[in-house]
Amino acid sequence: MNGPQEVNKPIVLVANRGEIAVRIIAAARRIGASPVLAASAADTNSLAARLADRVIVIGPAQAGLSYLRPEYIAEAAVHAGADVVHPGYGFLSEQPELAELLEAEKIAFVGPRPETLRAVGDKSSARRVAVAAGVPVAVAAEIDDPAAAAALGDAIGYPLLIKAVHGGGGRGIRLVRDSAELADLAPQAAAEAQAAFGNGSLYLERFYPAARHVEVQVFGDGDGGVQIFGDRDCSVQRRHQKLIEECPAPGLSESRRSVLHDASRALVQALRYRGAGTVEFLVDTESEDVVFLEMNARIQVEHPVTEEAFGIDLVAAQLRLALGQNPGLPDVPPVPPAVAIEVRINAEDPDNDFRPNPGLITDVHWPDGPGIRVDTHIREGYAFPPFYDSLMAKLIVRAHSRSAAVEALRSAADAVVLEGVKTTLPLHEFVLSHPDFIQGGVSTSWFAPAWEQRNAQLKEAVK
Amino acid sequence: MSTPSTPSWQDVLDLVTQLDDGAYESAAVEFGDVSVRLSRSADMPVTSPMAMTPPQSLAPSTNGTAHAAVPPAAPAVPETAPAVPAPAQPASTGTVVTAPIIGVFYRSPSPGAPPFVEPGATVGPHTTIGIIEVMKLMNPVTAGAVGTLTEFLVADNAQVEFGQPLAVIAEEASP
Repeated sequence: MNGPQEVNKPIVLVANRGEIAVRIIAAARRIGASPVLAASAADTNSLAARLADRVIVIGPAQAGLSYLRPEYIAEAAVHAGADVVHPGYGFLSEQPELAELLEAEKIAFVGPRPETLRAVGDKSSARRVAVAAGVPVAVAAEIDDPAAAAALGDAIGYPLLIKAVHGGGGRGIRLVRDSAELADLAPQAAAEAQAAFGNGSLYLERFYPAARHVEVQVFGDGDGGVQIFGDRDCSVQRRHQKLIEECPAPGLSESRRSVLHDASRALVQALRYRGAGTVEFLVDTESEDVVFLEMNARIQVEHPVTEEAFGIDLVAAQLRLALGQNPGLPDVPPVPPAVAIEVRINAEDPDNDFRPNPGLITDVHWPDGPGIRVDTHIREGYAFPPFYDSLMAKLIVRAHSRSAAVEALRSAADAVVLEGVKTTLPLHEFVLSHPDFIQGGVSTSWFAPAWEQRNAQLKEAVK
Repeated sequence: MSTPSTPSWQDVLDLVTQLDDGAYESAAVEFGDVSVRLSRSADMPVTSPMAMTPPQSLAPSTNGTAHAAVPPAAPAVPETAPAVPAPAQPASTGTVVTAPIIGVFYRSPSPGAPPFVEPGATVGPHTTIGIIEVMKLMNPVTAGAVGTLTEFLVADNAQVEFGQPLAVIAEEASP
């Protein structure tokens, strides 16, 4: 922070915290840029703060008064003399407001254009864009007359969901299993939607009770050019939070894989998408259906599995593209030459309903060995703060086959020493040893009952 | 103030000063093409409705459960202590006024105008000692204490960070 900036050394403002801030700083160094960190007052002693060339305090600990304020980030970018701002994931990464403020200051934003963020930012608009690009979406139909709903439902197939057109946040959604149940519930749902949202309009959507979450990593040049970097399976989830991710998605047939990749390519071309993004799909395990879920217009938490499997640096590529340089990404085959799996180690107590468990980290030791990568911001003596999300580290292992990767990851996870806070490591030990996971291809509804059963068995054993 | 269709910079700053002397917690005034919004707290919504729902995975723990879970051994407060890079050390003791917001600190209501206060001036909690501009929005900085403003710790026009010491207020010592 002291001493003159070298001429021509671009300045990257890192507008995030935690492990992703550390990751972005590393990428900035890799491309010969100078990283400056925008930090809340709670994060001025973080690992990212130590690694950055300069730290700018943007506000108090509360994210709502610091990391979530586009005008503070833009101001910090001006103070830093930044050429480019990397928003990481979460926080402002998909907010058009920050992208627009930076545009006005002639500072590059690492991410797609503001209008792209708007187009994919809400579900109905994203669905429209997807349909227009020929991307498969879940069969859905609007109900004009609740009395005639059953006929409409029969045409779609069961089970299905009744959703309020004007609903949101999971409210007003009902699961129906057959025609009779639909006829019964439709008028009731319409009345409830009217009461809750001031509008009784409903639609029906095909429901997949046993689908996998598979996503495709894309990188667009902003002019319609697109590169695909394989797929990831993120089906091990708890309450829609991903726990384990892998690249490539196991057990996908060649034809299914090309449906996913071709649809993603079409969507990125239609959007003239700029930078790294992810197109998420549900892949049904009971039928051949594949349906579009949403597009994430940012780098994702689980990007390291793609980087490891293909041997690329997505974050450096993002920075290079934003700086007007060649992102330097190779053309790759649909299936990578290696398998990479990641576990998220969170400060949560798995034996206490995953309660957040911040606190002082008294000891840390990470495993080492071929193909092992740890993305983290924690270290011994770090007081893991209660203000933000609970992600402490991502442990990633790469191997020549999936079974070798599962085995190596199990051993690596077992070798982690992390004292002072409760972590989700016991969960990973359980999943990585489970025959269903070892076989591969579990659905998103697999984890919850399996975990419950494990807990019940533990209780039984104690008796 | 007269209301010309396009107010001058001075008009706007006069308005800010005037409103600041009033009992308003926040105020919004529009005239001509200019709209002015003021708040005594730093957390007023600045850009058009901040409909930003924090992403699930990064949501701040506003429900208090996470706070409740913090063991006393790990207070976050010490982490904030060295928040400010190399602040000028106050030469006198007293209350330090810190920047409530990141931005550019101005001692005067407009370029060339006399400063709000000079060192040596007596101030009260609501006395404006400067303005911090963040993305073209002006935020008044008040003394927050009764006493004598003995010195400024940053220059006029300086870029300041959140929490950076700006000035020292010496409490009125009884002779």
